[in-house]
Amino acid sequence: MSNTSDVIIVGGGVIGNAAAYYLSKKGVSVTVLEGSADIGHGGSSRNGGGVRQSGRDPRELPLAMYGIQNLWPGLSGELGIDTEYTPKGNLRLGKTQAHLDILRKLTDRAIACGLDVRMIGYEEIKSINPYLSDEVIGASWCPTDGHANPLTATLGFYVNARRLGARFISGEKAVKLQKVKGRLRKVVAESGVYEAETVIVAAGLESRPLLNTVGIDVPMTGNLMECLVTEAQPYLFDQMLGAAEADFYGHQSKHGSFVFGGSSGFEGCTLDKSGLLENYEKTAPATCRGIMRYFPDLKRAKIIRTWAGFIDVCADGVPVLGNAEEVPGLVIACAFSGHGFGISPAVGYNLAELITTGKTPVDISALRYDRFKAKI
Amino acid sequence: MGAVERILEREFVPADDDGVVVCRCEEITKGEIRRAVHDGIFTMTEMRRYLRAGMGLCQGQTCAKNVKALMARELGVPPLELEHATARSPMRPVEMYVLANEEVAD
Amino acid sequence: MKRYDLIVVGAGPAGLSAAIEGAKRGLKTVIFDENEKPGGQLFKQIHKFFGSKEHRAKIRGFKIGEELLAEAAGLGVEVVLNAAVIGLYQEKEVVVRIGEAVRHYKGDAVIVATGATENAVYFEGWDLPGVIGAGAAQTMMNLHGVRPGEKVLMLGAGNVGLVVSFQLLQAGCEVVAVADAASAVGGYGVHAAKVARTGVSFYLSHTIIKAEGGDRVNAVTIAEVDERFQFIPGTEKRFEVDTVCLAVGLSPMCQLLKMAGCRVLEIPAKGGQVPLVGTRGETSADGIFAAGDVSGIEEASSAMIEGRIAGIAAAEYLGYAVNAELEAAIAENEAALSELRQGMFAPGRRGDMVEFTDEGIHVSVSLLKKGYVNDEEIARFTSASETPGFRPIIECTQNIPCNPCRDVCPRNCIKVESITALPRLNEYNACSGCGLCVASCPGQAIFLVNGDVGGGFANVTLPYEFLPLPKEGDRGVALGRDGQVVCEAWVSKAQISSAFDKTNLLTIKVPAEMAGKARFFKSKGAV
Repeated sequence: MSNTSDVIIVGGGVIGNAAAYYLSKKGVSVTVLEGSADIGHGGSSRNGGGVRQSGRDPRELPLAMYGIQNLWPGLSGELGIDTEYTPKGNLRLGKTQAHLDILRKLTDRAIACGLDVRMIGYEEIKSINPYLSDEVIGASWCPTDGHANPLTATLGFYVNARRLGARFISGEKAVKLQKVKGRLRKVVAESGVYEAETVIVAAGLESRPLLNTVGIDVPMTGNLMECLVTEAQPYLFDQMLGAAEADFYGHQSKHGSFVFGGSSGFEGCTLDKSGLLENYEKTAPATCRGIMRYFPDLKRAKIIRTWAGFIDVCADGVPVLGNAEEVPGLVIACAFSGHGFGISPAVGYNLAELITTGKTPVDISALRYDRFKAKI
Repeated sequence: MGAVERILEREFVPADDDGVVVCRCEEITKGEIRRAVHDGIFTMTEMRRYLRAGMGLCQGQTCAKNVKALMARELGVPPLELEHATARSPMRPVEMYVLANEEVAD
Repeated sequence: MKRYDLIVVGAGPAGLSAAIEGAKRGLKTVIFDENEKPGGQLFKQIHKFFGSKEHRAKIRGFKIGEELLAEAAGLGVEVVLNAAVIGLYQEKEVVVRIGEAVRHYKGDAVIVATGATENAVYFEGWDLPGVIGAGAAQTMMNLHGVRPGEKVLMLGAGNVGLVVSFQLLQAGCEVVAVADAASAVGGYGVHAAKVARTGVSFYLSHTIIKAEGGDRVNAVTIAEVDERFQFIPGTEKRFEVDTVCLAVGLSPMCQLLKMAGCRVLEIPAKGGQVPLVGTRGETSADGIFAAGDVSGIEEASSAMIEGRIAGIAAAEYLGYAVNAELEAAIAENEAALSELRQGMFAPGRRGDMVEFTDEGIHVSVSLLKKGYVNDEEIARFTSASETPGFRPIIECTQNIPCNPCRDVCPRNCIKVESITALPRLNEYNACSGCGLCVASCPGQAIFLVNGDVGGGFANVTLPYEFLPLPKEGDRGVALGRDGQVVCEAWVSKAQISSAFDKTNLLTIKVPAEMAGKARFFKSKGAV
């Protein structure tokens, strides 16, 4: 088979798969190179499933709003796979006055961008979610937020892109980008060389060394975060939950299990000697203590699995997305900083538009790769 | 691990026993697993993520071998070519309040 | 954090043996086990072990468990029960659930001896209550004194399926059939024979098509399969049962080792995924060892030796053992292990079709197909009594590493030349009829025949491990190797002796011409 296609996507995560799907739908030939054995190996399969607008930086908020208004509602039907999208609102919880101050600031900023989000008090919180502990004194409430299943969404995009003719090669780690006559043309991988008009680099943390091969550096670092899941439980609530300090988040999945993420305070310093995304022994217990402070009734739910995954944290906390004009043919989509899943359909859709029409429905110029400036 | 081009030439052929449950915890049937392979689900890790097979209370202790054999047959490869999914703590289900209660051993 | 020289995960045969060897050499040692009772499989193993003295042959598994526990306690090993190790984290941090808390421990060395888990097969109705693992049935019966059901079909004619079938019979269950998709009995022939002679039918090249039932299983259908394991329509056989036991193999439980980053390999002959280990149980991770079934499915006897070797190796790793002592101890254990790994059932020969014994005798095909050596074939292995008086008839037809019959005979009547050789009688028959060989044979394959007790009758002495023990004078029928009635029989003696270690000896009087056939007794009421 020829190793030439219209577009090469490096990275078979949810961003790469969404882009592959929307491009294939437009008849563009796509080759996706996934470095690991499994599609969706990185953060795509390891995140907490939030599909939120509230709490986002104004630079990426438009993408989040675009996805929730235009893409997520019809996605399960379109893909023929239940993404478990549940737009039943997001409660971002506060227990102290300091928390409420943080929430207030985030809320004001989002309202300025046109988002329906507001601060609510104890009574209203209880009416939305009666299972929350009395320690919660206030929250921000965004009724159009929600959650979805990152596993089925990631693989749903993959399965459909593949059906539409996208070529997927896993276990094929891209090691070098190569220009031909001034334009990016080749991707050299461990087992082969691939050629295309356009290359999207959507390889999470791995994007950095790969982009370095054409002289572009995205300032980001890996932060190993952990989640856990309980056995299936009777239905309790369907909002997405978060906390003012972003140290706790979670939801109950359609299947009944609770998926929660949390932190131990050692993030960024945990040991990962083998580089195998190892769990840190202190994190799951800390997460459990955190959950129980919010949901005392869940104390007897059994934890059946914990996992860890790298967040590709950008220096300024928002993704790098769009054309890198200095390397014609290169499109960058990385550094999602732990909140890429919720915007992944919008990112994939906008990338497909960018490549086929040169324009994006959402203004992504604030996410340019060359935006980084020293603070002084 | 070498590069795997995700192509499956053979068509999905329904079978009489497609309704038999293979993963008891999550009630995933043989037919669902076989069909998923034809959807492009080529690894056991992906199968867990796509259908939840092996993601329940027993964490695949009971069904993993059978899922693996079934997938291998559908893919037309020896079972040895499929990697088992990662082992994750806790190795036994633990109630949240117990996991939360870390006693400092003396 | 509490730190031990050695943390052992799993208090089964391998773990206990490892801890003992470590503690002997001065290591501060703890064992964590998730069960409420220690011993792993040992306390479920009520049968006598094969092997030789060094392997504790002819001692029952639970007894060996008691001995190991006492030895460990004497050496100061802490055995913590109801303690599930939920994670083996980096830097050998062991996190254990104990009661309503999790505790963190550090081990300078860690030996993982977590054993194995039962395989499952799926068929229509396999998720009905009453379809259980054979190991689960064994746990119910032998640890908790609960009978799993009344009428049982066993799927699996490997050692687990055979041993558990026998135990089900001992517990008073009816075993309606033993089925296996393989074309030959996979376990020891002697285990099959002691099940078959009670009247249990074997269905080789058969598998379960479906189990039926509502709240629980009430019937099961098996059918024959062809060489490609496809079922042959028209060969279905349906049994009314309330329990289906699955004995379809074991898989090493190596998840903790995987979590700890030890390299694992998939080796079908070892039962699945196993850690890559060196000859001393060392894994690819520094200071982490594996022993017993977790590193490859074998017998408890081998697990104990592997455990010992890993315990000594851990002592050496931590500087507690001097090299010379270590080498000698390891060499001794390796020799014992290699003895166990010989014969027809050696791990390296798994799956081979053996046609002849090491002695050049054509193996019994009937044994492999039906679970018993038929009357015609048995002549290849035993000879009829020519001299008057007692004579042991040794129906041991496969090369298994085992020799208690030789060691136990006070008159040295029995020869076992190499450990896997078939036992032979000395030319000069000095048998006194003491019955020690009958009681000590772990395969219950030895019978004493006294060919002429007057009136045209002979006495046959059988190993008998069922309750109630028939009494002298009871009338009944003798069953042949195939479990079919061969003649009327009378109990002439029922012996209980501590020397027999709970294998009672039943002597029945049968017509002299039936002495070569009568191998089991059913009292009249039971027929």
